[in-house]
Amino acid sequence: MTLTQDLREALGDENVLEEPVELHLFSKDASLMRGEPSVVVFPANANETAAVVRIAERHRVPIVARGAGTGLAAGASPTQGGIVVVTTRIKDIEIDVENRTAWVGAGVINLDLSVAAKPHGLYFAPDPSSQSACTIGGNVANNSGGPHCLSEGSTTSHVLGMEAVLTGGEVVVLGGAAPDPIGLDLKGALVGSEGTLGIVTRALVRLLPIEPDVRTLLMDFATVEDAARTVSDVIAAGVVPAALELMDQEMVRAVDNWLGAGLPIDAAAVLLAEVVGETEGVVAQSELISDIGRQNHATGVQVAADDDERALLWLGRKSAFGAIAQLAPDYYLHDAVVPRTRLVEVMTGIYGIAEKYGLTMCNVFHAGDGNLHPLIAFDSSDPEMNRLVHEAGDEIVALCLKAGGALSGEHGIGIEKRDLMRASFSELDLDAQARLKEVFDPAGVFNPTKVLPEGSRCFDFGGVRRELPDGVWV
Amino acid sequence: MTRNPPHIARLEVDQSLAADGAATLEPRSVDDVAAILKHASERGLKVQVVGGGTHSGYGRPVSPDLLMVMNGLTQVEVWNPDDLTVVVAAGAPIAEMEAKLNEANQTSVMPEHPGSGTVGGAISAGVSALRRGKLYPTRERVLEATLVTGDGRVVRSGGRVVKNVTGYDLHRLAVGAFGAMGVVVSVCLKLWPVPEGQMTVQVDDPDRASEVTRPLAVLETREGVSVFLAGTHSEVEAQTRRLGGTARPGHSWPVDPAGEFTWSLRVPPAEMANAIERMPDAWGFLAVHGVGEIRCSSDSFDPDFRSWAESVGGRLVVTSGEAEDFDPWGSPPPGVDLQAKLIAQFDPRRVINPGRLPGGL
Amino acid sequence: MAWVTDHHPTRSELDACVQCGLCLPACPTFRLTGRETASPRGRIQAMDAVAKGLVPVDDTFAGLLDFCLGCRACEPVCPGMVPYGRMLEGARAEIEEQVQGRSRLSGLLAGTALRSRLLRKLSGWSLAAAQRLKLTSLSPRRFRRLVAGARDLRQRGPSIVGYSSGEATKVALLAGCIQDEWFRPVNRATVQLLERAGYGVEAPNDQTCCGALAAHSGLTAQAEQMSSQNLDAFAQFDTVVATAAGCSAHLREAGWEGTEVLDVTVAIARAVSEGRLPELPPNGKEIAVQDPCHLRHAQRVVDEPRQILVAAGYTVVEIDTVGMCCGAAGLYTINQPEASAQLGEAKAQQVREARTRLVASANPGCEMQLRSYLDSDYEIRHPVEWYAEAIGSGR
Repeated sequence: MTLTQDLREALGDENVLEEPVELHLFSKDASLMRGEPSVVVFPANANETAAVVRIAERHRVPIVARGAGTGLAAGASPTQGGIVVVTTRIKDIEIDVENRTAWVGAGVINLDLSVAAKPHGLYFAPDPSSQSACTIGGNVANNSGGPHCLSEGSTTSHVLGMEAVLTGGEVVVLGGAAPDPIGLDLKGALVGSEGTLGIVTRALVRLLPIEPDVRTLLMDFATVEDAARTVSDVIAAGVVPAALELMDQEMVRAVDNWLGAGLPIDAAAVLLAEVVGETEGVVAQSELISDIGRQNHATGVQVAADDDERALLWLGRKSAFGAIAQLAPDYYLHDAVVPRTRLVEVMTGIYGIAEKYGLTMCNVFHAGDGNLHPLIAFDSSDPEMNRLVHEAGDEIVALCLKAGGALSGEHGIGIEKRDLMRASFSELDLDAQARLKEVFDPAGVFNPTKVLPEGSRCFDFGGVRRELPDGVWV
Repeated sequence: MTRNPPHIARLEVDQSLAADGAATLEPRSVDDVAAILKHASERGLKVQVVGGGTHSGYGRPVSPDLLMVMNGLTQVEVWNPDDLTVVVAAGAPIAEMEAKLNEANQTSVMPEHPGSGTVGGAISAGVSALRRGKLYPTRERVLEATLVTGDGRVVRSGGRVVKNVTGYDLHRLAVGAFGAMGVVVSVCLKLWPVPEGQMTVQVDDPDRASEVTRPLAVLETREGVSVFLAGTHSEVEAQTRRLGGTARPGHSWPVDPAGEFTWSLRVPPAEMANAIERMPDAWGFLAVHGVGEIRCSSDSFDPDFRSWAESVGGRLVVTSGEAEDFDPWGSPPPGVDLQAKLIAQFDPRRVINPGRLPGGL
Repeated sequence: MAWVTDHHPTRSELDACVQCGLCLPACPTFRLTGRETASPRGRIQAMDAVAKGLVPVDDTFAGLLDFCLGCRACEPVCPGMVPYGRMLEGARAEIEEQVQGRSRLSGLLAGTALRSRLLRKLSGWSLAAAQRLKLTSLSPRRFRRLVAGARDLRQRGPSIVGYSSGEATKVALLAGCIQDEWFRPVNRATVQLLERAGYGVEAPNDQTCCGALAAHSGLTAQAEQMSSQNLDAFAQFDTVVATAAGCSAHLREAGWEGTEVLDVTVAIARAVSEGRLPELPPNGKEIAVQDPCHLRHAQRVVDEPRQILVAAGYTVVEIDTVGMCCGAAGLYTINQPEASAQLGEAKAQQVREARTRLVASANPGCEMQLRSYLDSDYEIRHPVEWYAEAIGSGR
């Protein structure tokens, strides 16, 4: 039987798409890279997903998992063709209030989980900007972050267990509500593996109690440097707010043009800071942050008056990438992380690079983590522009890595940043990662060519003689 | 294959740690570690890795040919307090590192009573602080690790920033792996500020702790229940008032119970009260409420208790005690085959702590 | 030959979408199916593929767009401000032009029947007669929901078309097509309230259907004819009030120069806030408010219906913080009965959970959809009717 015949038999005709226009709609995620899938399928559960994996292995075709397609590194773009497995039908939520956990289907939308948990006084901490659309499966695959990961850590810290489909279509349940599962943390390896090791169909996630009080501050600054310095100073003062976000003027203007929230569009940069906890602590911390802001020449400090105002500020922040559309048809963005003490110099350097290339640059990012999102707005139909944008992007990454940074803080490597991996890791490091990939995916069907650059495993360790230190005789 | 201990010229030997004729090696550098492991791989020698020796009874016993003691690798390599991260060699004693970090009001959130324990030891054994409910377990605090694989490769994973998704998380796999993914030689840890206000409040019932949102820890021992509060002074005062009970400033962390057998009970948090209820009075315990971890001591191993723990989705793991006729880990975990294949890629001759992991790995 | 008409989605409209995906959760059909093919982003990508010559305008393409409700819930959540509703109408115009054999019943209705006063009157008479004879269950299956959701037309009173206050007339009223035949009490309440607020009212005789349903179906030529007839009828007025959210949305987007079009909820809420109409003390009763998509999403009117209901003394109960479509969506009930039924039932459930039997809805299609899924003891009316009744000038 053909690939699609097999899939139709396993999942039913209505869960298999293969019309050209339908395939086109699954040919990319929110990044710029497009592929050409041969077929799109919608399994209902782990067993159906396992059937798809076995069929893929039998036909030797790639299998690319997709949630809502909001990924920014082409992790869900089927660049090698094959089967796109969409998880949106797997959308059950089982909340365990006593253990403060929930079993969540991969296709559940991140925000829907927190909405479902709210009546129990609980929430799911990772809140990527796309949280109103992105799925838990995608969060797990990318180890997604978000503004509020500053104090609580990224998705991996919140995944206690999972149901996953591995090579050969084996369905395993790893971890659980009890702490410290014994043996190697296979679950931890799957989180953030971008669908290259297997497909997570359900996750057991940690839910946190909603804090009793919250303050959200909006501070505006006459220079980006002042805002960045405020971030470094807040962290240095021993305060870890729930979130600490920076948006520059270009970005604030685009967002406010849509939102009409009266954001300070004349400021060179705004900082959005949030503190949570008991009222007394929240008041003290927000005062401390305001003071640090003022010491760094904040031109205005406002506190969100109520939940509505707070929600509006966050809506503005979380819609920033989409608002870029007002500036240009495409955007190219990086996701590097730098040590927080290096923020000021790195930001200055990044603006310098944009100026040098004459590019439209916006910045909106998780400043408290040092997780930058320099974003270049451009028109990808101009090949010369494409070249410039990628050159500038590489230069920005090099600058961040030189400052002791990392390539990606939360978006993942996918294809977009894959070839930059060599700048982050040695051949031995990459070889070790490639070994992990080989063990999980001997058939090579899970999202091939993603994450690791070509030739990562080609390193011939046997050819290298590591000499013993002088004086050692064994 | 030789059973003869290798002659060591430059590397120091501490015979007091040697057992059963195993030679003791004390590497001074990452290159030393690599050389030793490569040699061991070539000869098929079993290497037991020793930090402060505080977890030597944890996991299945190893009959080593070599003891590799990590206390030659102790330096704090990079510590820029304003970044809230530290890079430290694996052999660094936790107590010394913490003392240094505390000077800048920071903590690595490593175990509160480390004894002679080292950073690498705590990571390899996968043990966590009592503050883990609020500040997350050790696994979540390791940002980067440099490992030396069984065949002597030096592999780095992660990065020196607080948020990172670059590549596969080999450093996470190394936590609790007893060296199977490679000996941990250096790590970058995520630090946390030590808040100005600290209070310990005695309450009569762990449920009282729900009066405050996410305290630093709620611990129960035979002596009673304590809620550990941390935050700004005003916040902590308000929480203290709300809790009632006897309060004293500061944190005085309880020590792990001692006994013939010590073990770690890991159950879903909602099962903790049930677990405590089931324990005979003679057993000592330290329960970390909200987490599901109970550190226990008893004079003998109770297989029924393990059966119960496993029946509620938990584990009973023996951390010290004679382990002749039972497995310290209990039933093997899922994915043992996959784990074995993975280990084969990082320690092909299986020289680092062989057999110490669950499932006989 | 990608596009053949002047209405097609333009390059700049298509480029306004950066595929961020924030529209997905707002889209009722994406929520139902979890499929990119049933999402605004997916539909825009399909239009883009046509524009680039990658796929033809054919039945498959038409099928993707037919499944869209046109509720435009994707627009307010789009930070790129993509004009989705406009693009959808343009793409549907292309489908009408390029895809053969689509003589759909709904197209006939939207393009022709609603313009004909005679046919409209016929619909009102025949439904009233059927209700009198208790024969409503004999209606064609596709129309059964509409019939089940219709108001009791047996004592519906006279049409407002042709009415004039006689004094210095300032405000014109668009009576609407369905509205004029099936929802006359809404129009009468509107006239009474506007007059009480001190305005003269006129409902010009030569007006016709606003053309919204024709435009939504891609029948651009017919829609334009209707629009130009209405422009002739209303051009002399400064202010035109429409009593159905779908009509006010369509007329506002036509952009008549010198004439302000207002949804009746906006006009009445404004009169209340200006002190022209009274605010009653709380009456202790709760009322559930349902937001028509073409009010909430297309016009971003959210507060006004609530202000009117509060002025009427009611306590407003929110049923849905995001304003998910009820599935009526013009002729969707007829064209996509399955999806429409799922959304209709979901909306009805939200109303049931509000634990009040009083419901306000500012659009006739939504009202009928709600009524057809709810028990008969629910009272569903337009906000201005609830208000008119409360201040004692109602029916």
